[in-house]
Amino acid sequence: MANQNGKMYGLTILSPILSDPKIKISHDTALRMYLQNLDRHERSPFTKVPGTHICRLVVMDDVVFVGSPAKEEHLKSKYLIFNSNLYGGVDQYLEEMARKIPGVVDDIWSHCVGYPGVTDPRAFAAYMKKCQVETTFFFADVNDKTVELTLKALWTKVEFTAFIEQNQGRSTAELQREFAAFWERVRTSPPPEAGARLLIEGQATGA
Amino acid sequence: MTNINGKAYAMNAITPMEGWKTPILRILFFLLGAIKSKQQDLINLSFIHFARWVIVKSNQFPRLAPEQPEEQLHYDYLLFFSNFNGTWNQYIDAFSAVLFNGLNLIWRWSEKFPGAVPVTAFKRYIALVQFDTDYYYTAYPYATTNDVKAAIRLDDGLRAFANNSSGLTPEEFQQAYVNLLVKVQADIGAIGPAPMGT
Repeated sequence: MANQNGKMYGLTILSPILSDPKIKISHDTALRMYLQNLDRHERSPFTKVPGTHICRLVVMDDVVFVGSPAKEEHLKSKYLIFNSNLYGGVDQYLEEMARKIPGVVDDIWSHCVGYPGVTDPRAFAAYMKKCQVETTFFFADVNDKTVELTLKALWTKVEFTAFIEQNQGRSTAELQREFAAFWERVRTSPPPEAGARLLIEGQATGA
Repeated sequence: MTNINGKAYAMNAITPMEGWKTPILRILFFLLGAIKSKQQDLINLSFIHFARWVIVKSNQFPRLAPEQPEEQLHYDYLLFFSNFNGTWNQYIDAFSAVLFNGLNLIWRWSEKFPGAVPVTAFKRYIALVQFDTDYYYTAYPYATTNDVKAAIRLDDGLRAFANNSSGLTPEEFQQAYVNLLVKVQADIGAIGPAPMGT
């Protein structure tokens, strides 16, 4: 199945956006305004949806005219694209969206045609799957790791690099003792927060 | 800019295709999926977390209510979504320089695709068919795909080392530790800042 690559699933949803010429702010504009202000980092609602490695929401206004002699044509509806690269099964993922972030799901998909609400997570998942288009080819560079495992590995990488630096020149017994303490700390620490701008306090960052 | 979150850039592109061409492209994608060695250039480039191509037939845009107008499109559409590291220009340059054969195979079926080389015409085409992302989330904005792969290799190595070194004498431990560092030296290091630019 082309949606799947290893344990990763490439979910592509096209939800038609409501059109109502009588309202002051169109649904697509309201959606854009809402998405503009939605937190993208550790307070992102998608940190609460298990399995979300990377996702995006895009308002697609129209198709593109690439110039003559191609034919110019236009969509009759605008579509909200929801595109998620997730670990695990899609049905459970969609139901978890309705369970874990019902307010956000409501704020977003209430602008879309046929949205059934979040009271029944299965009905929401069924609605989303009606809007799903099959991925034709899905590439995942790492395709077998959970979000938590990935975050923990990234943190371990930074911590171990610091450990090497701090323990140069130690006696053999000290090194062994320090490593045992280090590994115990790494082993028992929870993974860092998903979505955080920085992996560790004080880390340099760009955008 | 909403296309960028930390070190990840979200790219969306849409190109029209004559309906009779899409089965050919489907076969090509099937072969690309089935023959893993054909993905090697993509893997070697190592700056794409996830990417996908989605063919949407002219009659396949979801219609969920009778009051929603029915789309009447001539073309099928090829949607492309990528999550890459680096700047837009670096990405398109690298794609054009390394993957031009693959790109030509995929996009030659799209209307007015100029070819992946020369890069200037290719960039103009991509800029025309690209559209912006309204919301972009990544669980690890500070990490490139190389950071992720290195971290997982290192984590595996450390786990094995911790398991295998528990009963060693201090001298044996030190030797094993040095061997570990030699083995993982390419995967250690800080995770640096994101590039500036677009």
